[in-house]
Amino acid sequence: MLDPDVSLSEAPVAVALDANYEPWLFQTMLDELATSELGIGFIYSVIEHLAKRYDLNDVVVVLDHESLTTQEFRLGGAAVSADHAGRIVSDPGVHCEPDIVPQVELDAVRTACQLALSLHLARFAAAHDALTTIANRRTFDIALANSTVRSARYGWAFTLVLIDLKDFKIVNDRLGHDVGDRLLRHFGFALRLSVRQGDLAARIGGDEFAVILNNAEGHEAMGFVERLRENVAKAGESIEFTTGTSTSPRDSTDPSELTRIADARLYAKRGIIHR
Amino acid sequence: MISPTEEDFELELRALPGVVNVGFRYGDKGDVDAVSLVVHGDDAGPVRVVAKQIVSLYYPDATVSVEEMKPVPAASRTSSGDSGRVALVRAEFNSHDGFCEVHLNVNGRLGVGRSENGPLIGGAEATLDALRQLDFDVPFYLVGSVNVATVRGWPVIVTLRPRANESDRHGIAQAETELVSSAKATLNALNRYLSQLENFG
Repeated sequence: MLDPDVSLSEAPVAVALDANYEPWLFQTMLDELATSELGIGFIYSVIEHLAKRYDLNDVVVVLDHESLTTQEFRLGGAAVSADHAGRIVSDPGVHCEPDIVPQVELDAVRTACQLALSLHLARFAAAHDALTTIANRRTFDIALANSTVRSARYGWAFTLVLIDLKDFKIVNDRLGHDVGDRLLRHFGFALRLSVRQGDLAARIGGDEFAVILNNAEGHEAMGFVERLRENVAKAGESIEFTTGTSTSPRDSTDPSELTRIADARLYAKRGIIHR
Repeated sequence: MISPTEEDFELELRALPGVVNVGFRYGDKGDVDAVSLVVHGDDAGPVRVVAKQIVSLYYPDATVSVEEMKPVPAASRTSSGDSGRVALVRAEFNSHDGFCEVHLNVNGRLGVGRSENGPLIGGAEATLDALRQLDFDVPFYLVGSVNVATVRGWPVIVTLRPRANESDRHGIAQAETELVSSAKATLNALNRYLSQLENFG
């Protein structure tokens, strides 16, 4: 545990990274990039490397970020106790116990970790819907294209489910956007609960959602709709929705055509509302 | 190494309002069986509710605990360049003659530093000058003050070199003008040194 009275570094961010000065840091970045993308995992890798390199008992990286609260990352993924968190969080930087690491190296670590956190957030924001945190339209389009290619090539079946919330515009107009946003968040959460691992749930428009159910045909899609209905009810919100489905390769192996068919079925079923 | 799914899981928790720190405990099978959050703010209730929802999506059996961060007494905070004992009061630049002026306040005493080298270099020079006007022994000289493009904008990085055989000190800041950024970055580079001075101020 870090001694709360230890003298903590305060240099806010840092220096341009110097490949000659911190080769271990660059190697960690290269290793991480080779197996994944720079993100929170990289921050923990760097903390672990730093601890091994200097035989440290504890390391806490404190990062400022424009869109997040100041964030602490600790060796081993352990939480900093609430008693110490406030003291440490007021000192962005890299805090080590014992305090023996050269400042220039701490600065470089901090810069690299800051970059990793920013990249991770940017990547997450680019792929997810900000309100519901499920996938966004862009991610959905890519996933649908990939699924149809696999379906055409290997005959792997999948079902596309389009979902439309009933009278959502009226909710927004009468009760306000705050209530509308809350409903969307609850529905997004119910969707996430209802899909299986490997499926994709996305918000593709204001009150329009889409789900790709991999290796699924008619009865699996029915099972999904039933789970969704149950999870929406558990959320305690009064949300009504309609679904339309299409299955590849049976209906088509073209993304646009699959979407058109599911949309047409959705509109044809407008009278059948899931409560 | 944690998987991309685990990374996104942690990021989702960290993105909740006021969450400062996230800790995990792993069970025998390697799955997360307990999640602890440290939250900054008066009311951790809403965060607890949403955090439980998120955790249930990834690890349905994991427990969730939320601790509220203890407030830090002002006296226990160490100084920082723009809000601690050395405070930047004012920074002005005259574009006609290239002169800039930096005003610093330390415990009610005002130090004014000047430089004729424009806002970027001059901001750092004037800040060092202002510190010396305040009778600080500042055994550093300015190596560079550069404006760089980063993912966060265009901050100014100031590098100071100690007269003693020690590592360079670096500070970075991003403010409304290049001059203020340069002055703040200089103070940031000196934070640790200044806070260690026994007769500070």
